[in-house]
Amino acid sequence: MKFWSSEAAAAQFGRGFADLMPAAAGVAAWGLVTGVAMMQSGLGMLPAVVMTLLVYAGSAQLAALPLIASGSPVSLVVLTALVVNLRFVIYALALRRDMEGLNLARRLWYGYLIGDIGFVIYMTRRERDGEFAHRHEYYLGGAACNWLFWQVGSLMGIVAANWVPLDWGLELAGTLALLGLLVPMCAQRPVLAGSLGAAAVAIAAHGLPMRLGLVAGTIAGVVIAMAVGANFNRGTRA
Amino acid sequence: MPEFDLWLSIIGLTFATIAARAGMLVFRRMSPGATVERALRYAPACALAAIVGPELVFSHGAVEPDHLKLWAGAAATLCFVLTRNLFATLAAGMAMFTALRLWLT
Repeated sequence: MKFWSSEAAAAQFGRGFADLMPAAAGVAAWGLVTGVAMMQSGLGMLPAVVMTLLVYAGSAQLAALPLIASGSPVSLVVLTALVVNLRFVIYALALRRDMEGLNLARRLWYGYLIGDIGFVIYMTRRERDGEFAHRHEYYLGGAACNWLFWQVGSLMGIVAANWVPLDWGLELAGTLALLGLLVPMCAQRPVLAGSLGAAAVAIAAHGLPMRLGLVAGTIAGVVIAMAVGANFNRGTRA
Repeated sequence: MPEFDLWLSIIGLTFATIAARAGMLVFRRMSPGATVERALRYAPACALAAIVGPELVFSHGAVEPDHLKLWAGAAATLCFVLTRNLFATLAAGMAMFTALRLWLT
């Protein structure tokens, strides 16, 4: 059995892979930080390896780590990851028309592999070239590149963490990496307002049990962002 | 966290990945309304801010005395705005943290 339906399909897979290569170093570095952060927050080697291979979501993993370390309820850990992952719901909605003809297993599989960078690169080409041939293979090529460099970086981080002393505070690098994801989102004014509100409420409500301050902060932030967004739109229309 | 809860969390996190990324591809007819879709756009940034904010302020449950992490966060944010480079951002933040830690202790 041949893996690819045609040479052209294989070529598109290769092109998708190559188009993600410029970002590969960044993906690996991000994985490295996540790997180190997992170990430094007290996860054992085996849970850390299983987590990176199965969960495959850097921001959700980094967000979950402080909660796991402080012994928060499992439900809160999962809920937090779901909220951090909500951006992927937007991505999936955008990819929906392209994935319509695929069978259930493939839709699950392709969806699981959605990543921030891969999504942006795929959509850029999709908008430029329209419904180009073998675009599923092109998508998978980018996803494969992202997966490979992420996992290599993450596994390297898990191993390297053994040689990093705890008082270097490298788990802080995980928090700073989340900051690097957050800051570009704040280019939109409603997001900036919502984020500042969310952080302020979460800090003020830090004493609440079960890290409910996190939930309160997130909800307050979304409400603020939506209010600012509504005013903002009205302002530009007028 | 107990061993059992840890493994349960890892299974739950895997579910969170699949649900968020593949959910809308699997349930093809499901469509969030316009309002919910707007909320979806804002929620991830707000959740990240609600995690990062307290992480930078508190250490082991109390306000960090010398605000090392807060200064590191400020340095990292400034660096990201100037360079847009994640690598440089992490380096700047960690350099600030380490310099202050060595200087103050």
